[in-house]
Amino acid sequence: MVKSVVLTLAAIAACAAFFIFIEWYLDKEFTEFYLAADALYEKIENETANREDANAVRIMWADKRSKLHIFIPHNDISYIDYRLNEATSYIYTQDYHSALANIEIVRQLAKSVPGNYKLRLENIF
Amino acid sequence: MALIFVRTAVIFITLLLIMRLMGKSQIGEMQPFEFVITLLIAELACIPMADSSIPLLYGVVAIVAIFILHQIVWLLDLWFRPMKAVICGRPSLVITKQGIDEYQLRKNNLDVSDLIESMRTAGYFNLDDVYYGLYEANGSFSALESGHKTNSLAVTIIDSGKINVHNLEMCGISREKLDEFLKQQGAKLKKVLVMTVDGNGRVYFQPSGKPYRILHTEVSKRW
Repeated sequence: MVKSVVLTLAAIAACAAFFIFIEWYLDKEFTEFYLAADALYEKIENETANREDANAVRIMWADKRSKLHIFIPHNDISYIDYRLNEATSYIYTQDYHSALANIEIVRQLAKSVPGNYKLRLENIF
Repeated sequence: MALIFVRTAVIFITLLLIMRLMGKSQIGEMQPFEFVITLLIAELACIPMADSSIPLLYGVVAIVAIFILHQIVWLLDLWFRPMKAVICGRPSLVITKQGIDEYQLRKNNLDVSDLIESMRTAGYFNLDDVYYGLYEANGSFSALESGHKTNSLAVTIIDSGKINVHNLEMCGISREKLDEFLKQQGAKLKKVLVMTVDGNGRVYFQPSGKPYRILHTEVSKRW
């Protein structure tokens, strides 16, 4: 009996700690990525973005993506992948207008994706 | 992940509520919350396993949520007796010395044919073979034997105001004879809860809302 109560309380505590960690981790990873995408956005807007800038953001995202796969559905990651690669390709060809449109989508996704997994009423139902 | 936990809890509570509302006809020898867990676990394990776009952790968290909810329900059962009745339900006394309790049957979404089937499964082939019959909280049927078990199989002639024509023919009772029998008892067909006849012509007759009577009628066929 005591063992069961302790086990249940331990499981609840472990879950609560895990959930807090996940929320913090997603926020941190996506905030970092958003800042990088935002910096790239400004460079594209000024038409000063180059291959190295695009690759730096892509490498940063690839590193984060490998861990994020554990915590969020892979489809959400694929959307960001797709738009980021498209933006990079346009930077390679110096088509800054198209690159800007794609990096804007990446920015918005980086901002909205963690919110989809937060404990909110609209996400529960 | 907290989202998955809460969503699992919402589904768990909804299913538990629905199972309780469905009554004992749906659960079959499991407590309602055990049945809900059985329903959920398989799906929770399968979906992330089969769909590679969903992290496996989603299934794991949902299953852990089920475990925690199971423990909470179990502890509530132990500590607060009234909660046991709310979560698991109470046994329902469906047969008394007065006959079938129609209200209890309806409350559990059962009908007379379900009760007769449960009795046959328990080894009783006549409704008056038992003094008391009850459905346990887990949906199983228990009975206190009356001590005068009949040796012939009873067939249902009227079930909740409806005639079973096949059984009527099997007994060799004509429709006119049945109408005459009902007239003698002062009962209308629609108001008869149950009427069974066994191979010796022994009739179990219970009008709706009244105690049962044991009567006799002529049957032209024996079985």
